[in-house]
Amino acid sequence: MKRISYQLKSTATCYGIILPGVLLLLVFVYAPVVWAIVSSFSQFEIGGAQKFVGLANYKEYLVSDPTCWPSMGTMFLLTLFAVIIRLSVPLIVAKLIYSLPRERSRYIYRIIFLVPIVVPGVAVQLIWGGMIYSEHGMLNEILRAINLEQWTHGWLSDPRTVLGAIVMMGFPFIGGFDVLIYYAGLSSIPDSVTEAANLDGCTGISKFFLIDIPMVLSQLKLILMLTIIGGLQGFEALFVLTKGGPGFKTMVPGLWMYFNAFSFQRMGYACSIGVILFLMIFGLTLFNIKYFKSSEEIQGVS
Amino acid sequence: MTTLKIKRYAKFTLLAVILGVSAYMLMPPKEESVGGNRDEGGRRESDRNVAHVIKFSAGASYQPGARPHGIGEPLQGLNHVIAAFEKRFPDTRIDVVNTPGVREYLVTQLSSGAAPDILNVNVEDVWVDTQKGWYVPLDSFFEAPNPFIVEKGDPDLPGTRQWWDMFRYQAISRGKAAPNGKNYCLTLDMVETGIYYNKTIFKDLGLEPPQTWDEFMAICKTIQAHDGFEQPTTPILMHLGAFLDWAHDLIFDQLYYGILPGIDVKQDPTREPYLQGYLDPEELAYLNQKGYFTERDPRYREIWRIMKELKQYTNRDLGGVDFVREFVNQRGVMMWSASPLVYRFILDKNLGFEWGVFYLPRFTKATSRYASGVDMCVIGGSASQFEVTNSAVNDTPMEWPMERRMRESERLKRVVAFLQFLCLPEQASKVINEYPCLIPNIVGVEPRAELDDFVQILDRRYTTTKWIFSFDLRFSDILNRMLSLYLAEGGIELDEFMQWQIKNVQSGCRKAVERKGVDLSLFDKRWQELAPVRAAYMDLPADSQ
Repeated sequence: MKRISYQLKSTATCYGIILPGVLLLLVFVYAPVVWAIVSSFSQFEIGGAQKFVGLANYKEYLVSDPTCWPSMGTMFLLTLFAVIIRLSVPLIVAKLIYSLPRERSRYIYRIIFLVPIVVPGVAVQLIWGGMIYSEHGMLNEILRAINLEQWTHGWLSDPRTVLGAIVMMGFPFIGGFDVLIYYAGLSSIPDSVTEAANLDGCTGISKFFLIDIPMVLSQLKLILMLTIIGGLQGFEALFVLTKGGPGFKTMVPGLWMYFNAFSFQRMGYACSIGVILFLMIFGLTLFNIKYFKSSEEIQGVS
Repeated sequence: MTTLKIKRYAKFTLLAVILGVSAYMLMPPKEESVGGNRDEGGRRESDRNVAHVIKFSAGASYQPGARPHGIGEPLQGLNHVIAAFEKRFPDTRIDVVNTPGVREYLVTQLSSGAAPDILNVNVEDVWVDTQKGWYVPLDSFFEAPNPFIVEKGDPDLPGTRQWWDMFRYQAISRGKAAPNGKNYCLTLDMVETGIYYNKTIFKDLGLEPPQTWDEFMAICKTIQAHDGFEQPTTPILMHLGAFLDWAHDLIFDQLYYGILPGIDVKQDPTREPYLQGYLDPEELAYLNQKGYFTERDPRYREIWRIMKELKQYTNRDLGGVDFVREFVNQRGVMMWSASPLVYRFILDKNLGFEWGVFYLPRFTKATSRYASGVDMCVIGGSASQFEVTNSAVNDTPMEWPMERRMRESERLKRVVAFLQFLCLPEQASKVINEYPCLIPNIVGVEPRAELDDFVQILDRRYTTTKWIFSFDLRFSDILNRMLSLYLAEGGIELDEFMQWQIKNVQSGCRKAVERKGVDLSLFDKRWQELAPVRAAYMDLPADSQ
């Protein structure tokens, strides 16, 4: 009896500790999500009356809004590029750092590649917009200096170059957490595996592809999921640099949702775009979990 | 004490200091008026018994403590007016606050009733929110005497009969009425656009300010063709907004002014005496139903053709360039901008050239066969546009109708009193004429001599319509986007742009009519009456004769 009472007390304490967190999560995360889903079936402005319109918002966005499909295409293009970059370049950098012979050198390089993440993203975007892509920015001035005036562009205002300019932002794509995550994965490869590979003559590039990559699949899966989620949700850089323009050339659904919500005050319509994005992210995440195996799952560990 | 212990203590002390400083930096700042609005030292009379604290977002032009363009002495004019008002009303304190100009901020603040009592934003931007009770209509106050004028005892002074009479530019001031006919805005001063030009380069190239649009284009062509510049030089510097707003309305006016007598279907008894022939949103919507501003209206297509023609002489990137820097560095010979830059150029001792201002010249039949031949109208107008928000009546229950809240709110009386006080010539001049920037809209306050060029421009008639302020923000956004794409190198062609814009106009018109609940058939009778007038015009949409 005394033992049961102790267990109950212990359980109650645990629930008591977790309860405020759960309540806050319900109020600030789940309730707005539910509210947004409900609101997506209505038409209303902030401060105005709410009117139930059924699926009209979804129909308008998917059928008659001319921005819908082009912006989806842009979003997938940007996400695809981000996936390719984030699954490759930081991994190569991590491998190079990991291959350094001295721990001190590895430490210094890890720090060097990590430091850039302290610069806020918006600041980075403004630097690219103002100092590199502007009319008298670095890119155009270099071209002028080497007598290639005809190659200069309004990189962010020219519809032919704007998407390329956006995807190239952040070049050479080597800083940040991704390197650390991959580095941690490489560090966790057991010595026995490395030694066995060496004994079998598997070194250099073949070792990278045949041993290292399969052994960091967990990290690749994590980065893949985060990149897809970020790609579908994110629009800060586009908001800061192009506002989705020129025209709708760099418009993505998330940015259109923002404009509809806060500039045009079409909250119901914006919510419907948000719900569509949520369903897409949810679906892709499920797909990823089901079909993209981590190294542990391949080995049957988990 | 061992070295180890000293190191440990030092480490903990450093950590504690960092934590302390971090915690201090995280503390929210005290809510304080920006720039101080007491004496020049920013001192406040904290012991005073204040019943009303009025928050006033005056805008960047008059923000106390600000140094426009980073030059000259910090502004103090508004502080002096506030000090005089507070002396007169010791139970009231006016706090000048700085608010972001973004609409997102305003929407959230207004919906929660937390916006400043007096805002300074383009009144066209607030029209879409008036039906939500976020703004206080000011007509009843404008139509009453200004009590501060009345107490002077001179019956001839403007403001004795109606506050309205104190405003110099009546058409523009009253033209700021919302589409529902009510006035939500007090226009303290005016701004007008003009072409700043480099007189030195003009002289070197043997150029004179143009008298017609064709001469203007010829000047641009001459500058573009000139190969004697030391650096790449743009004939005329313009930002996208100048195309979207200014050029749009001016070109529209030039092409449609000639047919206005046949298409002005609304005779508004309130606005017509001041804004003869101005096309309201519902008139635009009616005309759109009749085929205007569609593919069947050749004048409408002409607007965008002429705009593209102008674009070939402007900067390539319409958004990402510091135009003032380009002009000052003589990388641009002309610049389409507004009067506040006068101050910037006057105080620039290192400006290596003479500059002047001219206004855009009229179209001729050589410009377009639809040119009306009249001089260009003005499109600028109201600069500081003060709106009173729902915060000013927050001493009354929110569930009351606005009319009752207005009647019973003591706070509102004090807010309006401050605006009436600010309009006194002796007070307004302290603010408006502190530096050459904006043109006074108060009778009795003479504009500064440096702004003469713009004062002369402002004497012209007002525009036929203001397109981007006629419809909802979605209309402006889509037009902005597609126009930027149409004007950009490698952008879309005129046909594709027209397809977008025609749909955009139709959508904007439909929503304007829905929002206002206007019955457009009410214009049918007038439309029929004007048929003989229209019969004399050429190339009208086929179904509109």
